[in-house]
Amino acid sequence: MALHLVAQHCSWECGSELHNPPRHVIWPQSTGVCRCFAVFARSPVSMAMRQTPLTCSGHTRPVVDLAFSGITPYGYFLISACKDGKPMLRQGDTGDWIGTFLGHKGAVWGATLNKEATKAATAAADFTAKVWDAVTGDEVLTLAHKHIVKSVNFTEDSNYLLTGGNDKVLRIYDLSKPEAEPLEIAGHTSAIKKALWCNNDQQILSASEDKTIRLWDKNTKEAVKTLSFDASVSSMEYIPDGEILVITYGRTIAFHNAQSLDLIKAVDAPASIHSASLHPDKDFFVAGGDDFKLYKYDYTTKEEMESYKGHFGPIHCVRFSPDGELYASGSEDGTLRLWQTAVGKTYGLWKCVLPEELTSENSEVLYCPPAEIKA
Amino acid sequence: MTFILKIHALPVGCSDALALNEQAVYRSSMKTPVSVLRLPRGPEPNSRGFDPSSPRFIALCCSSSSSSDEEEQRLRSELRQRFLWTLSVMRDKLVQFDMHERVRVRARFGASDIDVLRFQVSDLETPLGVQREALLRCQDVLSCSFEL
Repeated sequence: MALHLVAQHCSWECGSELHNPPRHVIWPQSTGVCRCFAVFARSPVSMAMRQTPLTCSGHTRPVVDLAFSGITPYGYFLISACKDGKPMLRQGDTGDWIGTFLGHKGAVWGATLNKEATKAATAAADFTAKVWDAVTGDEVLTLAHKHIVKSVNFTEDSNYLLTGGNDKVLRIYDLSKPEAEPLEIAGHTSAIKKALWCNNDQQILSASEDKTIRLWDKNTKEAVKTLSFDASVSSMEYIPDGEILVITYGRTIAFHNAQSLDLIKAVDAPASIHSASLHPDKDFFVAGGDDFKLYKYDYTTKEEMESYKGHFGPIHCVRFSPDGELYASGSEDGTLRLWQTAVGKTYGLWKCVLPEELTSENSEVLYCPPAEIKA
Repeated sequence: MTFILKIHALPVGCSDALALNEQAVYRSSMKTPVSVLRLPRGPEPNSRGFDPSSPRFIALCCSSSSSSDEEEQRLRSELRQRFLWTLSVMRDKLVQFDMHERVRVRARFGASDIDVLRFQVSDLETPLGVQREALLRCQDVLSCSFEL
């Protein structure tokens, strides 16, 4: 809740005395006279607050992928994939580290959690995809591949895992029969960057370096539809509620119907975009890329609303939390940052501080970023 | 402490030109940054985390057959310890490595890296000659043997 303070002239001059702090402020005028103004707190009107991103440190190399779980009785969780080979699990609303999944022997390119945050899956450059117990951190399964694995995705019931990578083949593993051979779907002519279940886990969407996005039927293993682009797709997000596919390529953020693959709308950003995410209520979307900045756009009007600086390297991934209250970004600088959707609202570690609380002795606030004072 | 001040009503006769100027400057440059209770907790240096005393862990981890799990863990620890002792005893010994493609080489063992990805060896005897210093990729090594 942002505060909009309104000052009303008290109609009398008061010298240097302070009246009933903090309801009145003395505002020195250049004429040398102090005027006294009564200050009233009004209900939230405008965003007069500056965004304070929360930085999650711990990784030592670029963060290349991140994913949120669904909302569980213990909150929601965030997993980050990093080139240091050590994916981490964090509490989603605070960014607090919970644990590190140890076992991969190469850069981790993709990471995902199931809806209940009880299982995690990771895709790595050591030619394996691994399934983990996300509560204990133990490795449950190692799935050997013939090349670097880039993407992993669970079905809604967490029983099947979809993988895709540099060997150009999509694989579906039955997690109740891990010894069995996976179902393979071939067709892409270049490395697969992202593979996602869609349409109630009956179909698969895959984005590849061959500059296509293909929609496959899981049962027939045939490509139902293909979308071609001039450039390689950098990221893909599937929103089941509304059947929207968010795609980024070059400087464009495009929204397609996930079933027909028809274009809904597209927006061009000021710089090359690596990842974008649509808010669950579909009122805005965020995107980040090469210029280190995070952009926030109005989904309906396609207008740029805000841009935030903070990262020290290109942004590789950005995702909204399942409740839409924050979004997380992962960067080449090795950090994850959490950003508020409604700047100034009390949520997670962010606290809305009223002016009285700032001056009172019982203030809970332990850390306040220094305000800019301009003369 | 900064506020955005908007003058609601000005009395007649006040130097309003200056007041409005100051008002504009304040509004454009002074946005209060959102306060934060604390920073997110980072990883612990000596632990992989997944605190067993957390409510989620206790609720979701069925502790059925915990005794057999403990036994398995004990055996695993013992095996791991023996493996590490073997590596340390191997130092400076002449070791024969059996590798893929029926490759057999002999070398003086130096050290292993922390993830056991590479072995540092000296005087590696290869069909192409003796290599003074070399790194052997552990993925390629099937077995190694040496005299105690």
